[in-house]
Amino acid sequence: MKKHTQNFLLAAAFAAFSAVAEPTLQTVADPRPLLDALQHKMASVGTVYLEFTQERELKLFSEPLKSEGVMLIERPDKIRWETTAPYQTILLGDQKSVAQFESNDGKWEKLKLGFPQLLQRVMQQMSAMNQGQLDTLTNEFSVSLATNSETVVTMTPKDKNVRSMMSSFEIHMEPDFSATREVVLNEPNGDLTRIVFHNEKRGVPFPAGAFDQAKPLEIAAVQTVVNHAP
Amino acid sequence: MRRNFFLLPLILFLAAGCATEPPHQNHFSRPANLFPPNAFITQRALFSARGMQFALNGYLAMSETGGKRLVVTENFGQVIADLLIKPDGKVFVMQSSRMFPARYIRRLVAADVECVFGGAPKLDCPVTMLDTNHFAIDRGGYKLDLRILEIKPGAQPAGLFDETKAPKP
Repeated sequence: MKKHTQNFLLAAAFAAFSAVAEPTLQTVADPRPLLDALQHKMASVGTVYLEFTQERELKLFSEPLKSEGVMLIERPDKIRWETTAPYQTILLGDQKSVAQFESNDGKWEKLKLGFPQLLQRVMQQMSAMNQGQLDTLTNEFSVSLATNSETVVTMTPKDKNVRSMMSSFEIHMEPDFSATREVVLNEPNGDLTRIVFHNEKRGVPFPAGAFDQAKPLEIAAVQTVVNHAP
Repeated sequence: MRRNFFLLPLILFLAAGCATEPPHQNHFSRPANLFPPNAFITQRALFSARGMQFALNGYLAMSETGGKRLVVTENFGQVIADLLIKPDGKVFVMQSSRMFPARYIRRLVAADVECVFGGAPKLDCPVTMLDTNHFAIDRGGYKLDLRILEIKPGAQPAGLFDETKAPKP
């Protein structure tokens, strides 16, 4: 569970600093130049605001389990992952700590998190990644890249224990890495999680309190600032 | 002998007191027809144990003839418990995890499902209905704050209630 969550957040954050798309893909023999370009692009992005819809496809159920929300990332290490429907929860993290809030009849309750070190490690990885240090990723994942009308980075865990939970994750981007469209986490049994991003805004200012782990600013207030940014 | 003689009234007194005490069992009764017999019910829960809290999602398929199939996932969707309760009460653990071992699912999660969603709640149900879509379970060792997010009435696929079709890891 820990690794899965870690990889999930890592994939989502990685994707947020890059971009997405679809069709007939051609595998790139040497992905290094494109990965370097991607890193270069990521390094120049200070903040990202994304809205997402998440579909959890379990073979067991005929319909996907849907949720939606908002993700904020601010360099070097701040992240806010907020689910807004069908329930409300906020996950906040940085290099030092993490926090989760759950809506309880309209009031936010800060949870006494079990295993907070898990999310903390995710933040450390994100920080390294955002500074262009993809070594931390290639240590843990085999990375392949395919491109055409979209670019897809596929990351396969090297650790077989991790692979037993997640066979790979794909980051679908625009060919020029200008926007993230979709992240797909594939599981060995055929189940998958698809996160489709939209309304992406880069370089927007976030108001104070957006990442406050004691009393996070309401997302509506964040969106007001983001939507009025030049 | 003399000592026993003096003890007898005390024993009888205590026995009488015990007999008039309300039973220390938790009987939970909720309104009839709160949940359709055939439905898909989405839940959000806060599980508290040992001073830690975990936010969980629950997806319950209910079938009048097939039973109840509950899948529990953690924050990001990974399945941490999957169980099937047949109409005759037999429990099948379809998937367990480190957080929810099979014995825990079989003994406690199944009981909680029956307490909240079962047709005839049992005596040992420490459940409080805070609202028609909000339940609190307190078993001492853990607490569960459960909210019903959505109820989709309708027949559920028969395959969900087939205990031989456990998901492959």
